[in-house]
Amino acid sequence: MPGTASKPDSSYFWDKLHSLSGIIPIGAFLAEHFWSNSYVLVSPERYNSTAAGLEQIPWRIPVEFLFIWLPIVFHGCYGLDIWWRGKANVLGHPWMSNWMYVLQRWTGIVLFAYIIWHVWIERFATHGRSTFAGVAHDFANPYYTAFYVIGVLAASFHLGNGLFNFCCKWGIAVTPRAQRAAGFFGAFVGVIFSVAGLLIVAGFVYNWHPFSGYL
Amino acid sequence: MMADKTFILRIKRQAAPQERVVWEEFEIRYRPHLNIITCLRDIAEKPITRAGDGTTPISYDANCLEEICGACAMLINGYPRQACSALVDNLEKPIRLEPLTKFPLIRDLQVDRSIMFENLKRMKCWVPIDGTYAIGPGPRMSPEQQQIGYPMARCITCGNCLEICPKVNDHTQFVGAAIINQVRLFNMHPTGNMHARERLEAMMGPGGIQDCDNAMNCVKVCPKSIPLTESNNEINRQVLKHAVWDWLNFSEGPTERDEEWKRLGIQK
Amino acid sequence: MKEPKIIVVGGGLAGLMATIRVAESGVPVQLFSIVPVKRSHSVCAQGGINAAKNLKGEGDSTWIHFDDTIYGGDFIANQPIVKSMCEAAPAIIDLLDRMGVMFNRTPEGLLDFRRFGGTLYHRTAFAGATTGQQLLYALDEQVRRFESEDKVQKFEGWTFLSAVLDENRICRGICAMDLKTMEVRTFPADAVIFCTGGIGAIFRQTTNSVVCTGTAQSALFQQGAYYANGEFIQVHPTAIPGEDKCRLMSESLRGEGGRVWVPRNAGDTRPARSIPEKERFYFLEEWYPKYGNLVPRDVATRAIYKVVFEEKLSLAGMNAVYLDLTHLPREMLDRKLEGVLEIYQKFVGPDPREEPMKVFPAMHYTMGGLWIDNERQATNIPGIFTAGECEYQYHGANRLGANSLVSCIYGGMVAGPAAVKYARNLEKGCDATPESVFYAEASRQREANDSLLNQQGFENPITIWKELGAWMTEHVTVVRVNANLQKTLAKLDELDDRFSRVNLADRTQWSNQTLQFTRELGNMLILARVITLGALARNETRGAHFKPEFPERDDKNWLKTTKASYNGGKIKLEYEPVDISLLPPRSRKY
Ligand SMILES: Cc1cc2nc3c(=O)[nH]c(=O)nc-3n(C[C@H](O)[C@H](O)[C@H](O)COP(=O)(O)OP(=O)(O)OC[C@H]3O[C@@H](n4cnc5c(N)ncnc54)[C@H](O)[C@@H]3O)c2cc1C
Ligand code: HEM
Ligand code: SF4
Ligand code: SF4
Ligand code: FES
Repeated sequence: MPGTASKPDSSYFWDKLHSLSGIIPIGAFLAEHFWSNSYVLVSPERYNSTAAGLEQIPWRIPVEFLFIWLPIVFHGCYGLDIWWRGKANVLGHPWMSNWMYVLQRWTGIVLFAYIIWHVWIERFATHGRSTFAGVAHDFANPYYTAFYVIGVLAASFHLGNGLFNFCCKWGIAVTPRAQRAAGFFGAFVGVIFSVAGLLIVAGFVYNWHPFSGYL
Repeated sequence: MMADKTFILRIKRQAAPQERVVWEEFEIRYRPHLNIITCLRDIAEKPITRAGDGTTPISYDANCLEEICGACAMLINGYPRQACSALVDNLEKPIRLEPLTKFPLIRDLQVDRSIMFENLKRMKCWVPIDGTYAIGPGPRMSPEQQQIGYPMARCITCGNCLEICPKVNDHTQFVGAAIINQVRLFNMHPTGNMHARERLEAMMGPGGIQDCDNAMNCVKVCPKSIPLTESNNEINRQVLKHAVWDWLNFSEGPTERDEEWKRLGIQK
Repeated sequence: MKEPKIIVVGGGLAGLMATIRVAESGVPVQLFSIVPVKRSHSVCAQGGINAAKNLKGEGDSTWIHFDDTIYGGDFIANQPIVKSMCEAAPAIIDLLDRMGVMFNRTPEGLLDFRRFGGTLYHRTAFAGATTGQQLLYALDEQVRRFESEDKVQKFEGWTFLSAVLDENRICRGICAMDLKTMEVRTFPADAVIFCTGGIGAIFRQTTNSVVCTGTAQSALFQQGAYYANGEFIQVHPTAIPGEDKCRLMSESLRGEGGRVWVPRNAGDTRPARSIPEKERFYFLEEWYPKYGNLVPRDVATRAIYKVVFEEKLSLAGMNAVYLDLTHLPREMLDRKLEGVLEIYQKFVGPDPREEPMKVFPAMHYTMGGLWIDNERQATNIPGIFTAGECEYQYHGANRLGANSLVSCIYGGMVAGPAAVKYARNLEKGCDATPESVFYAEASRQREANDSLLNQQGFENPITIWKELGAWMTEHVTVVRVNANLQKTLAKLDELDDRFSRVNLADRTQWSNQTLQFTRELGNMLILARVITLGALARNETRGAHFKPEFPERDDKNWLKTTKASYNGGKIKLEYEPVDISLLPPRSRKY
C-alpha cells in the first residue's frame, strides 16, 4: 500500500487483505477440500487414491504453508480482532442482517476451534496420511460426528455469507437490487456447501457410496 | 367524568457525566397524538416523579419538532429515533427513554454529537466554490442525478445510524454511515468531485470505510430512509478503485505527480 | 489598523451567509448559536425560494417580483431595498446552485420552478419539499470549509445574553452563556451581526422551532435598539394543529395543484372522498377566481376563519378545512412534495395522497423585527447589524411565500461586508475599550442568572408561557379587536408580575435548560407587549393586521413604519415614513 501523508495507518490494507483471504485462497481451498473429499461418495478406493494423490503434490509443505496455513492463521487471528472491535446488539434489534453479522463472527470462532481440532486429528494424529478406513473410524465416535457436522455447517454459512459481504465490501453489489442478488448468491453457495458437506459426512458415517455406479 | 387515562414514562437520568445514573418514573396524562417531546414538557411543568418526589426537569435537545433538525435523537424503548416524531399512541408502555450511548453524555437525554460535524470537516464534505460573487449558474444536472442526490442530501445528522452500528464504539474510530453517505454525495456532484481524491484518501484512513462490516443496521433506523448501505458499498467501490489505481501507479503515481505540480507552481 | 473582529450571532440562512461573506473578505468570524448551526430553524422551510429567473417563458422579471412583493406586503415596505433584493435573487439562486443544492430539475437539466402564493408566475425554485434544509446545508458546508481554514470559529451551544455597549452606546462585543457549563463570558468585537430568526414561541403553538423565541432581539431592544412593525404577524393558512407545535403544510402543496374546501353542508360527517364534487365548497377558488388557492397568506387565512367561524362550515368535530391533493398524480407528489407529505403521515397518520388533509391556520412568521436602515442592515446602535427574520425590512405587512429565504440570504450578503466596512473604518476598535466595560456587562448578566436561581416563588415558567401563548394567539393574530388587545395588555401585566415570582425547578449549574428558558421567557414577555401595543395603536387593516373595527387600509394616517423603543421599562411607539418612491400605493384586491 503506498503511503501518503493523509494515510496515517494501514488498516484499510489489512482489512481488505482479510476480506480477500476469506475467498482466495481460503474459500477456494474449502471448495477444493470438499471436492476431493466428495470422492468418498464414489468409493473408498477412489477416496484413498485422491488423498494419496494430494499427498504427492510437489513442494507440498511450502505450498500448503503459503496457500493454506498462513492465510488461515492470518484470517483467523485478524478475524478475532475484528470480532473484538465490534459491539453486537442483535438482541435488542433482531433484524436478519444483524443476525448474519453476528453469526459471521460466531461461526468464525467456531471455525477457529474446529480447524485446530480438525487439523490436529486428521493431520498430525495420522501423520498426514488420511485413508477412508482411518476417517471412518473417527466417525464411529458420535461426538466426532457432531463436531464435524457443526464445522461443516459453520464453514458453509461463513463462506456463503462471507461471499455476500465480499460483494458489498468490494463494491460489486451496490444498489439494493444488486445487494439482494448477492444475498441470493451467498445463500446458494452456503446451501450447496452445506449439502455437499453433509453428504460427505454421511458417506463416512454410513459407508455410503451413492455415486459408485458413475465412475 | 372519567378519570384521565395515564401512562408511565421511565427515564434514565444522569445530572452530569460523572454523576450517578438514576431511573425515574413519571405518570403522564394521555392525549391523542401526544409525542415524547410534549411528555418531557409536561414533566418540566410539573417535575414530580410517580413516587411523588420533586425532581429537576429533564434535559434534552429538540428544535424543529418535525423531524428535520435532527436534534432530538434518543433511545426510545431501546430504539434510536427522533423523540419529536415518536408518538405515544404507537409505543409500547411503559415507555423507556435513554440517551444515545455512542456519544459523550452531557446530561439526562442530552449528548454531544459534535464528532459528526468534525468528521464532515475531516472528509471535506463541501463543494469547493471560488466565491460568492455572481459568476453564473452552477453545473447542469439531469433530473435523474437530482433524484439520486437529493435523498442523500436529506441527512439530518441525527446520529441514529451511528448509534445502531456495531462497529461504532470505543474500539474503533469508525466515522459511521452518515459521513460515508455525505462523501458519496459530494463525490457525485460535478464540482464536489474535484475533492474526491482527498475524500477517498481520508476514507481509507483510520475509522474509514473498511470499518463497515455490513451489518446493515444503519439503513433500518435512518429517519430519512437514506439508502445507506448503497452509499457504503458505492464508497467501497470508489475507494477500492482509487487504492488499486494508486498502487498500480506507485512509482510515478499521484504522489510524484503532486511533486511535479508543485515544481510547476500549480496549486492542487 | 489590525484585522477587525466580527461576531455573528445566529447560524440560520442569514447568519451563515453573513459569516461566509465576512470570512471571504479575509476577516475572521466568531459564530454563536444556541443549537448547532446545522439544526437552525431554517431547515424547516419547505416550499422554496423566489427568484424571477423567467425560465418558463412567462415573461417574469425582477420588477414584477418587486411589484408582487410590495403589493403583497400592502405597501408598507421601503421600496428601494426590496427592489435590490428582487434584483439580487436570480444570482443568489445561481450561487446556491453552484454550492451544490439539489434543486429539482427540468428535463434539460435546468432549475425547475413552481408557483407560490401571491403571484401568477412560476418563480419558486425548490429542492423537493425541504428547500430550507438543503439551502442551510449548502451554506453550512461552506462555513465548515472556512472553519477548516481557521477563518471561522464556532460557538455552538452558546446563547447570546446582551450586547456590550460602551459609554457612548457603541457596541464593543457581546455577553454570552455556555449552555453546558453555564459560564457567562464576554467576547469583544468591532461589529456584531444578529441573525437570530423568528419569535414564534411567543405564540407557543406555531410553525416555528423551539429556539425561535426572539430572546436576542428583545435583549437588544431593551438595550436601546428600535423594534419596527412588530404588529405584523403572519398566520399561515394551512398547518396541522398540534399541542407542541403546529406543523406547516407548505404553500407548495397548493402551488402544485392542491385545493382547499369544506363540505357545503355543515356537520357533514361522510368521509371526505365520498362527498360528491357539487357538495364541496372550494371557497378560495369561488371568492378569488384569479389567484384561487394561491391568494396571499393573510387573505387565505381570513377566508378560512370566515368559513369556519362565520359560516360555521367546519369539518365535523374540529376547526379545520380540507387541503386536498388526492386528484394529483402520485409520482409528481413523491418527486416534489414528499418531505411535507411525510410529515403529515408521521404526525397524523393517513396518507395525504389518498385522503384530504385536515389543516388550520397557525402563527408562522414575523414581518416585524429589529429596525435597520435602508442600505446596510445596520440598527440604530452603532456596530450592530442584523439580517434574516429578526429584522423588519422586505416584507411589509404580509410576506409572500418563498420570499423569506431570499431576504435572509440577501440580508446576510449585505450585512457581512457592511459590518466589515464599518469595523475597518472604526477609529478605535474594541481593543481600546476598557476592560471594565466588559466586566460590568458580564457581572450584570451573572447577577441576572443568580437572582433567578435564588428567587423563591411558586410560579412555573412553562405555565406562564402557555398562558402567554394562548392569549397572544387568541387576540393578537388573525382578528384584532381593540378591547381584546387592551385585555391582553392587562394579562401581560399579570404575567409580568407572576414572572417576578417564578420558581426554578432546577438550580444547578450544568446544562440548566430551565434557567435558559426562563431567561428567554422574560424577554418574550417584553416582545409580546411590543407586538400588542403596535397592534392596538394601528387603527386600520393592512396585510396581516386585520381590525374589523377599521376594515380599510388607511394610507393617510397609517402608511408609516412603527418604531418601538424601550426606556427604563417603558415602551414608546414612534413612526417613520415609508419610502414609496418607486411604486405608488394602489388598493389591494386579489
Ligand atoms: C415551517 C416553516 C416553513 C417555511 N417555509 C418557507 C419557505 O418555503 N420559503 C421561505 O422563503 N420561507 C419559509 N419560511 C420562513 C423561513 O424559514 C425563515 O424565516 C428563515 O429560515 C429564517 O432564517 P434566519 O436565518 O433568519 O433564522 P433561523 O434559521 O431561525 O436561525 C436563527 C439562528 O439564531 C440562533 N439564535 C437564536 N437566538 C439566539 C441567541 N439568543 N443566542 C445565540 N444564537 C441564537 C439560532 O440558534 C439559529 O442558529 C418557513 C418558516 C417555517 C416556520
Ligand atoms: C479460523 C477461523 C476464522 C475466523 C475467526 C474467521 C473470522 C471472520 C470474520 C470475523 C469475518 C468478518 C469480517 C468482516 O466482516 O469484515 C470473516 C469473513 C470471512 N471469512 Fe472468515 N474466519 C475464519 C475462517 C474462515 C474460513 C475457514 C473461511 C473459508 C470458508 C473463511 C471465509 C471468510 C470469508 C469469505 C469472509 C468474508 C470476507 C469479507 O468480509 O469480505 N473464514 N471471517
Ligand atoms: S452497514 Fe456498516 S455502517 Fe451500517 S450498521 Fe453495518 S457496519 Fe455500521
Ligand atoms: S444518515 Fe440517517 S440516521 Fe444517519 S445521521 Fe443521517 S439522517 Fe440520521
Ligand atoms: S426536534 Fe428536530 S428532529 Fe426532533
